[in-house]
Amino acid sequence: MKYVIISPRLGTPGDEFDPGDDNVDHLVAGGFIRQSTDKPSKPSKVKTKPKE
Amino acid sequence: MATSTQLSNPKVQIGAAIGSLVDLTDQTTSATLTRTVEALEDTAFGTGSRTYVGGLENNELTVTMFMSYIAAETYASLKDLVGTKCTVQVNPAYGSGDSATNPGFVLTNTYLESLPVINSSLGELATIDLTFTGGVYSVDVTA
Repeated sequence: MKYVIISPRLGTPGDEFDPGDDNVDHLVAGGFIRQSTDKPSKPSKVKTKPKE
Repeated sequence: MATSTQLSNPKVQIGAAIGSLVDLTDQTTSATLTRTVEALEDTAFGTGSRTYVGGLENNELTVTMFMSYIAAETYASLKDLVGTKCTVQVNPAYGSGDSATNPGFVLTNTYLESLPVINSSLGELATIDLTFTGGVYSVDVTA
């Protein structure tokens, strides 16, 4: 799960926060980070022409 | 006469682990990190003075900080650390990274036994005293 920094106490706001294996529920509850809502980009739908 | 002096303006970070340290410098008014290696007496018959060898390390960080209950402030930073092993880092100077002249003194797996959730007096700003006990001492000098 990806997180984004909210509070400058933890880092630069807007930067991604990588918690590793640590439990970060208290950082979410405390208003330091939030879960990232960024969705992964979809793969391109452009199909290449099969070679004849 | 002192040939080198240090303005007391340390950086204080506290968190559950080294990767999630919260910078509480602007709430802190006092910090004392003491590295202690317990003395074990090894004086034997035939000597005229007591002598000691090093035992276990028993390190400690004491801090005084202003209390604040709003999001991402003192209470939110500390409330879930009580009764757990956590990590603290104190640098002598704020504003520059870890280096040989601004080492990051770290206690890993240090224990926070208590958190005064209320310490208020009429007409005064609320402050709290915290003591982090034990933990593995290390010094970070790499940026």
